[in-house]
Amino acid sequence: MHLLKTIEDHVLTNPEAIAFVSNGDQISYKDLWEKSDNISASIIQMSLKDSSPILVYGHMETEMIVCFLASVKSGHPYIPIDISIPIDRVTKIIESSKAELILNVSKLPISINNNVQVYEVNEIEKLYLNNNVVSDSWVKDDENFYIIYTSGSTGNPKGVQISANNLQSFVDWMLKDYPINEKLVFINQAPFSFDLSVMDIYPALASGGTIFAITKDMIAKPKFLFESLRVSKAQVWTSTPSFIQMCLMDPSFTQELLPEIRVFLFCGEILSPSICYQLRERFPSARIFNTYGPTEATVAVTGIEVTDALLKSYQVLPIGLPKNDTKIVLLDGDKSVEDGEKGEIIIVGPSVSKGYLGQKEMTEKAFFEYEGEPAYRTGDAGFINNNTLFYKGRMDYQIKLHGYRIEIEDIEHQILKTSYVKATVVIPITQNEKVEYIMAAIVPTEHPFEKEFQLSAAIKKELGEILPAYMIPRKFIYCDELPMTPNGKVDRKLIKEKVLV
Amino acid sequence: MDFKQEVLELLAEICKEDVVKEDTNIDLFENGLLDSFGIVEFLVKVEEKFNITVPITEVDRETWNTPNNIANQLEDFR
Repeated sequence: MHLLKTIEDHVLTNPEAIAFVSNGDQISYKDLWEKSDNISASIIQMSLKDSSPILVYGHMETEMIVCFLASVKSGHPYIPIDISIPIDRVTKIIESSKAELILNVSKLPISINNNVQVYEVNEIEKLYLNNNVVSDSWVKDDENFYIIYTSGSTGNPKGVQISANNLQSFVDWMLKDYPINEKLVFINQAPFSFDLSVMDIYPALASGGTIFAITKDMIAKPKFLFESLRVSKAQVWTSTPSFIQMCLMDPSFTQELLPEIRVFLFCGEILSPSICYQLRERFPSARIFNTYGPTEATVAVTGIEVTDALLKSYQVLPIGLPKNDTKIVLLDGDKSVEDGEKGEIIIVGPSVSKGYLGQKEMTEKAFFEYEGEPAYRTGDAGFINNNTLFYKGRMDYQIKLHGYRIEIEDIEHQILKTSYVKATVVIPITQNEKVEYIMAAIVPTEHPFEKEFQLSAAIKKELGEILPAYMIPRKFIYCDELPMTPNGKVDRKLIKEKVLV
Repeated sequence: MDFKQEVLELLAEICKEDVVKEDTNIDLFENGLLDSFGIVEFLVKVEEKFNITVPITEVDRETWNTPNNIANQLEDFR
């Protein structure tokens, strides 16, 4: 396949160049290539089922990228799993993906009662040394390259299958339409289980650049984060708007800290003009781009440069135009809407996924053919004005919080599993289309706690075992029963109003 | 209202929980009342309301762990 070949070219022409830096550790293109070849040879010897996915478990260690490449070189897609994902959820992912192999990069033990083989990364590397893997075994064309699991409304995460062709279409667009194709240093903020990370990993590797990881230890200790940024020599910044907002909280987050930054790329949630104004002021020579896209269409499909002129013209920033191999259609039911009218955003083009792994019904609901091309119903509302696309919130119960995609019903399912809950409704509290925090209204069972906050702490603790931290509601309210609408549904609106007064 | 009381009110608004005003020695992180995003939101509000700028790099979970400690830290920044 083209992308791996491109990376191999950099290995041959520039073997000592650094591919990835993480917490003081780093790996060259040559080592990345050789180590992934070794692991890949071992994987091939294991004779896993054709194209069965491989879980890669860890955080942002250099070996993570090694294992990603090892998987695809052996003909298997990988499923990136960050250590912040609770083991209960990992088990569900193993079951749903039918994975046969886990590569454990973290130094943590994985205890899973499943028929899956777990290998420490150093162990597997030594199994068959110095084997050259021929490119015939590489993942190619319509075969899956990676599978990323996102929150599903039934309480089970669903796996989005991204093929080699899907990813190629994305990477080609990034390197062609953005000024990043010059062996630059890219910041990676998102955990690898979140596909925002794909926005820097593959454009960096395909252009012979370097990925600089922002680890969870840095995020927990901002002082350490800033010290790391100072030595990063970063040139391309990729993050969620929430993350840069945190950095902007510090007056020292300026061009002086990051003198070489030339491009800011944002994706994952609404980008506010106020963030852009601050960036224009503090990094006057950098360019800012806002992008949009769901995991199902490979990271992002539209983009626009946020210039001073754009900031002057709009109170709410547009999400831009689709990449040139892709079409955006706005539908109301089956009919396309007029310019300026609101409709559901449909993405049509070669980066649209083939669907959710092993979930035929869910796939058929969201994926279809539009004029002979693969299409995906995003569930996002949008409208087109002056030839550019604007985002207008969700059509359903899915939300974005700090860039993470969350199904409200997923949280409700999990809360019901905890000890002291009879019934619950989860409600996102929003301000100007943006979710501020998540609230849960709960009808409790009998419990031993004297005060409500102790009950909340107990429920949050249990949720911590089954849900990632960003999915745990901040606020809990308790009631004797959940109010109903006349047609027997839980009255979410009434609960929300009760909280906001 | 004195400064400390105002800080506690603000904290209660962010944590969505009045207990932080009553039990001012409660560990906010251990009890799931505050996380990294909560802290950032709190600092934004502190800047708006009191005009005190606290660089995020000065915030350490070990010394900003209870309502009392947070109020004392902010007092120093005033």
